Amino acid sequence: MNRRGFLLIEFSCVNKFFGTFHVLKEINLTITQGEVVVIVGPSGSGKSTLLRCINRLEGITDGELVVNGVQLHNRKIDINAFRRNIGMVFQHFNLYPHKKVIDNIILAPMKVLGMTKAEATEKAMTYLQRVGIADKADSYPSQLSGGQQQRVAIARGLTMNPKIMLFDEPTSALDPEMIGEVLDVMRSLAHQGMTMAVVTHEMGFAREAADRIVFMDEGRIIEDAPASDFFQQPREERARAFLSRLLHH
Amino acid sequence: MSLWDFNILVEHWDQFMAGLRQTILASLLGLIGSLVLGTFIAILRIAPFRILKAIGTIYVEFIRNIPLLVVVFFFFLGLPTLGIPVDPFTSGTLGLMVYTASFIAEAIRAGIQAVPSGQSEAARSSGLSYIQTMRYIIMPQAIKIVLPAIGNQLINLVKNSSVLGVIAGLDLMYYADLINLSTFKGIPVYTFVALFYLLLTVPLSLAVHYMERRFARSN
Repeated sequence: MNRRGFLLIEFSCVNKFFGTFHVLKEINLTITQGEVVVIVGPSGSGKSTLLRCINRLEGITDGELVVNGVQLHNRKIDINAFRRNIGMVFQHFNLYPHKKVIDNIILAPMKVLGMTKAEATEKAMTYLQRVGIADKADSYPSQLSGGQQQRVAIARGLTMNPKIMLFDEPTSALDPEMIGEVLDVMRSLAHQGMTMAVVTHEMGFAREAADRIVFMDEGRIIEDAPASDFFQQPREERARAFLSRLLHH
Repeated sequence: MSLWDFNILVEHWDQFMAGLRQTILASLLGLIGSLVLGTFIAILRIAPFRILKAIGTIYVEFIRNIPLLVVVFFFFLGLPTLGIPVDPFTSGTLGLMVYTASFIAEAIRAGIQAVPSGQSEAARSSGLSYIQTMRYIIMPQAIKIVLPAIGNQLINLVKNSSVLGVIAGLDLMYYADLINLSTFKGIPVYTFVALFYLLLTVPLSLAVHYMERRFARSN
């Protein structure tokens, strides 16, 4: 899957601290348009924090981070205008419980992109169809299964027409039988050329859908390799130990 | 002396009604004012700027930790000293409003902070501004959470309006004291006063329960 376009995400020597805790250490990472990059590593290794820096849910402490042409280390940028181009899917879905599925999806297109309700609804329905739950448009999130909620969350992100989609452990809160339906949606998104950064423990998905695997440990990127190389023979001892724990548990 | 000396009620009906009218007026003004001011203070307390946060915190910690009567006296005696003429009713109602707002602010702040942080992360990451996120995502959920606590505060406010009686605010309590002093029939006088307060607080309490149920259904 070599559809190398231009650079969408570039971390240069990025450090991040939570108080005195050094979460991200000397991060260098680039993601180009159309790439699917899966970030793996033991818990506490900083992968979620790294992902959350990409749309500045977390600010970086020093270094440079350029996403979609915007310098995120510069405090004076229009963050709301920047974020409309970056979709995000969370571990716990984070649907708005007081709004119906359709209203969850059309809120940002209307309030941020200025679409009319009719336009936003039409677009939302297209994406709900694509993730296979158009019949749930008028339900409340609490009436949906976890897998359905996560598919709504993906549709909510896609309706904004983002340039990049971020996935923060999208299947970790799901019952095993629902993981597949969410991964299917993500896989088809990857095949359609969406630029994706995904934090996950789903090695099957990583092997099939990822162009590159980034392995993190203790706040550092230990290995950054094409998916096939990483799974056949990881260079680093820590990555080998991590993989064998995951694959043979 | 009987609890139910209806002669008292009949003979002093006009005074009771005049007092009730002022109590209702003070309660309504206090209710609207303390909700608006309380919401504003709550937003200050959680604002992402240190100075605003400090102002909100100082307000709450200062006002809610002194007795209501002292707050009322501050307006009643303090404002005229500063050259601002106010009548007892106005200074009493202002004191009531400012005092209750500190409790309402705390309730609303707790409600806002009880909304999971993922809600605002999802909203902000879709490009909604801080204010849009508050308005469309956080506040509608926080209101459901804080409704019982706010209901309690509003009931307290109606009862606390009796503080006006102390500064000749012409409310129910003021006239009750007056009637008591002229008739020496305190027990029936205050029994009827209690009934008049119940007439205001019980419907308020029912209204809050009704809204709680309505909000619960919409989820």
